[in-house]
Amino acid sequence: MTRVLGWLAALALLAGLGMAFAVAPREATQGTVQRIMYVHVPSVWVAYCAFVVVFVASIAYLATRAEAADRLAHASAEVGVLFTGLTIATGSIWGKPTWGTWWTWDARLTSVAVLFVMYVGYLLLRGMIDEGERAARYAAVLGVVAALNIPLVHFSVLWWRTLHQPPSLMKPGPSSMPPVIVRALLVNFAAFALLYLYFVAKRVRLLRLEGEAGA
Amino acid sequence: MGDNWGFVLAAYALAAIVLTGYWRHLVRRERELNAPVAGQPPGAPGAPPRQR
Repeated sequence: MTRVLGWLAALALLAGLGMAFAVAPREATQGTVQRIMYVHVPSVWVAYCAFVVVFVASIAYLATRAEAADRLAHASAEVGVLFTGLTIATGSIWGKPTWGTWWTWDARLTSVAVLFVMYVGYLLLRGMIDEGERAARYAAVLGVVAALNIPLVHFSVLWWRTLHQPPSLMKPGPSSMPPVIVRALLVNFAAFALLYLYFVAKRVRLLRLEGEAGA
Repeated sequence: MGDNWGFVLAAYALAAIVLTGYWRHLVRRERELNAPVAGQPPGAPGAPPRQR
């Protein structure tokens, strides 16, 4: 099953590349550099989903003490950190030619950086506590608290005056983007979502094996 | 605005390196956990579990 997911993700990533470079047109205002958005935007959407999974799995763990819920939260946090890091790095690469700077302490960029640091902290916390049950319990509490930052990141561009543009798709009302660009974004989101599922499935299995090997 | 192909390629190359690197890390770790411990048959008490 995991292998099938891996192949599906690989095929979807190829389709996403095709959409980004062969189907989607050169954007009139930004030029070719806008094609970075086909990595940057799906990465952050997948990161949001990953941290929502951490939130739900953490609540499930606190309610039931099921190890499977803890493993899912741990795996999803790790993969979420990976995609958040990718979001920040690709955004920075896009920002240099577009805004003239790699980084600025804008509300969106700062709140994403805080999100990233919180989940890196979540992973460090897990690594610092030797006792498995206590590590899982503390991490679950942090997994619930850290998720409160997700709406803050998303709405930061609406609540404060920022250099970062407001959402083009995840907002009420119709999209302000041409349909072909929306389709390219959605195909890449599907590809990244499949890759997320593949990584999480593999990481959950590894965590189970590590637990059995350590028991 | 110029086309800035260098920035586009840098972003895609970075994404490819990061995602492939993480995938390789998972595959390597899986191989380590599935490798039998020297002197013990796979599945023996204390030996890491085999892939199911």
